[in-house]
Amino acid sequence: MSVFTIDHVKKTFTNGEIEEEILKGVNLSLKEGEITALIGPSGSGKSTILTIAAGLQRASGGEILFEGKDMTKMSQEEIRHVRATDFGFVFQSSHLVPFLTVEEQLQLMLDVAETKTSKKEQAKAIDEMLKLVEMQHRKDAYPSSLSGGERQRVAIARAIIHRPKILFADEPTASLDTKRSKGVMELLQELTRTLHLTTLMVTHDEEMLRYVDRVITMRDGYIVE
Amino acid sequence: MKIAWKEMKKSKAKFLILGSIIFLVSFLTFIISGLANGLSQDNAALIKDLPDGQFYLSKDADSTYNLSKIDEEVQKQILIDNPNATAFSVQMGFVNDAEDKQHSVAFVASTESKLFENVKDGEIVLDSSLKEDGIEVGDVLTNNQFSGEFIVKGFVEQQKYSHAPVAFIGMTNYQEIYRVMEMQTIFIPGKDAPTLSALDSFSNKEFLHAIPSYSAEQMSLNMIVWFLVIISGMLFAIFFYMMNVQKIGLYGILKAIGMKTISLFKMIWYQMLVITAISLVLSIALSQAFSFVTPEGMPFHLTMDTVWMLSAVFMTVGFIGATISGIQVKKIEPLQAIQQGEM
Ligand SMILES: Nc1ncnc2c1ncn2[C@@H]1O[C@H](COP(=O)(O)OP(=O)(O)O)[C@@H](O)[C@H]1O
Ligand SMILES: [Mg+2]
Repeated sequence: MSVFTIDHVKKTFTNGEIEEEILKGVNLSLKEGEITALIGPSGSGKSTILTIAAGLQRASGGEILFEGKDMTKMSQEEIRHVRATDFGFVFQSSHLVPFLTVEEQLQLMLDVAETKTSKKEQAKAIDEMLKLVEMQHRKDAYPSSLSGGERQRVAIARAIIHRPKILFADEPTASLDTKRSKGVMELLQELTRTLHLTTLMVTHDEEMLRYVDRVITMRDGYIVE
Repeated sequence: MKIAWKEMKKSKAKFLILGSIIFLVSFLTFIISGLANGLSQDNAALIKDLPDGQFYLSKDADSTYNLSKIDEEVQKQILIDNPNATAFSVQMGFVNDAEDKQHSVAFVASTESKLFENVKDGEIVLDSSLKEDGIEVGDVLTNNQFSGEFIVKGFVEQQKYSHAPVAFIGMTNYQEIYRVMEMQTIFIPGKDAPTLSALDSFSNKEFLHAIPSYSAEQMSLNMIVWFLVIISGMLFAIFFYMMNVQKIGLYGILKAIGMKTISLFKMIWYQMLVITAISLVLSIALSQAFSFVTPEGMPFHLTMDTVWMLSAVFMTVGFIGATISGIQVKKIEPLQAIQQGEM
């Protein structure tokens, strides 16, 4: 069953006088509990469609249906609410909050998502999540003292601690070596299964495709399948 | 507002620098306005320190204090009708000490009154700043236009007029020195002072401006202070704006994970408030301490009224600067903010 449908989405950037159409009508749907991988040459528009889908920037045209609602018609506040409660996002570089410890990053996400459970339960959930990404031994560390792989694992933990319905990930393994990349992919696979997530990820690494359920290829702003 | 506080704790250096700039700028403003106010006090403490009331000048004086002469009959009647009223005159002049050294003073003579020193003829009471010139109680002073001598009876604090120390003398002595029988002005304290048909009346403020040197000097001083306030206010606003623009990447991340706009605003306001409050408290304390260490000759007078007023101005412009950057943060798309932060 499709939980998320992208229908004919376009994106035009204006650089001074020049208008450039980066997405020329992208159609795509995500199936519940599946990991969908988006591949294609650099500059083909993968990051652009991913960030539009995640509500981090606006489309220039088309529809994005999430739970029956068209996100392109939502107000800023409605989109924010969807981002806070239903979506998780892992950036290419982890983009953690520099002045919060690992534990505080996850607590912040729970606060932002307005999680209703008690503080004690939240602390337990954070603890379990950190165990899952094997970061509990660094829970009081600040991002600046973590390695690239550790930061990315914390970023993944932050993206799913509030139990989102959809996880978006933009080349989450790009800054990692093969061993670490496999670790992160296995983690994503496991989380998608156990937490009933639906995941859309961008990758350029063929190696990673064996962890995904479906592969979609982009070229020059189109899906080529 | 835990997150706002945590950031300040973690990035101490950045906030310390911002805080010290605000501290220095507000301290400078306090000191300059203290000096400006001190100068103004030096110019007219004699008049400024009088209670609220009405001043009366003769109609032909054309609102100029120096030209006013109050008819003796009129004066007599007013003093009878208003027991609190006092007639007085102020004129610049000199006294010579025992070594024949001249000291510039403002001679003040008045009818019997609680508001001015009442001095018998042949006696003189001086502003305490003349002590520094070596004049002591019991000294004998003379004046070129005066046939007799003045014996120094005592000193009073903070009685200045036109940057000169005030010298209270008896009315008859005054009349001899300046060869006039009439006093220049009548003052009646209290809110319900009467309007007198024979004379023009002035509030304290209006009267101060009728002193020619005062209004001109006051205008320049006020100009200096307000320019400083406007420039430092703009500096405040710009610094808070710059700080938040520089943090746009962070706000992008917080927006991306779904933080509410109002929470971002609260974070921006909270940090602005904490930094400004701490900096202002420090500069208020230091500027008050400064007033104790200023040398005697330096006119410095910083009232708490001025301090609160300036602090309120700084708080307001800091708030405006923070809010403008907040609006900027509100408008930008999360992705755009993150990308700007990476540049
Ligand atoms: N904010 C932007 N303004 C202008 N051009 C952009 C912007 N974001 C992306 N692009 C352009 O869109 C194209 C696709 O970018 P992107 O989606 O990042 O590609 P991919 O992730 O597939 O490598 C690139 O040519 C890029 O330069
Ligand atoms: Mg990309």
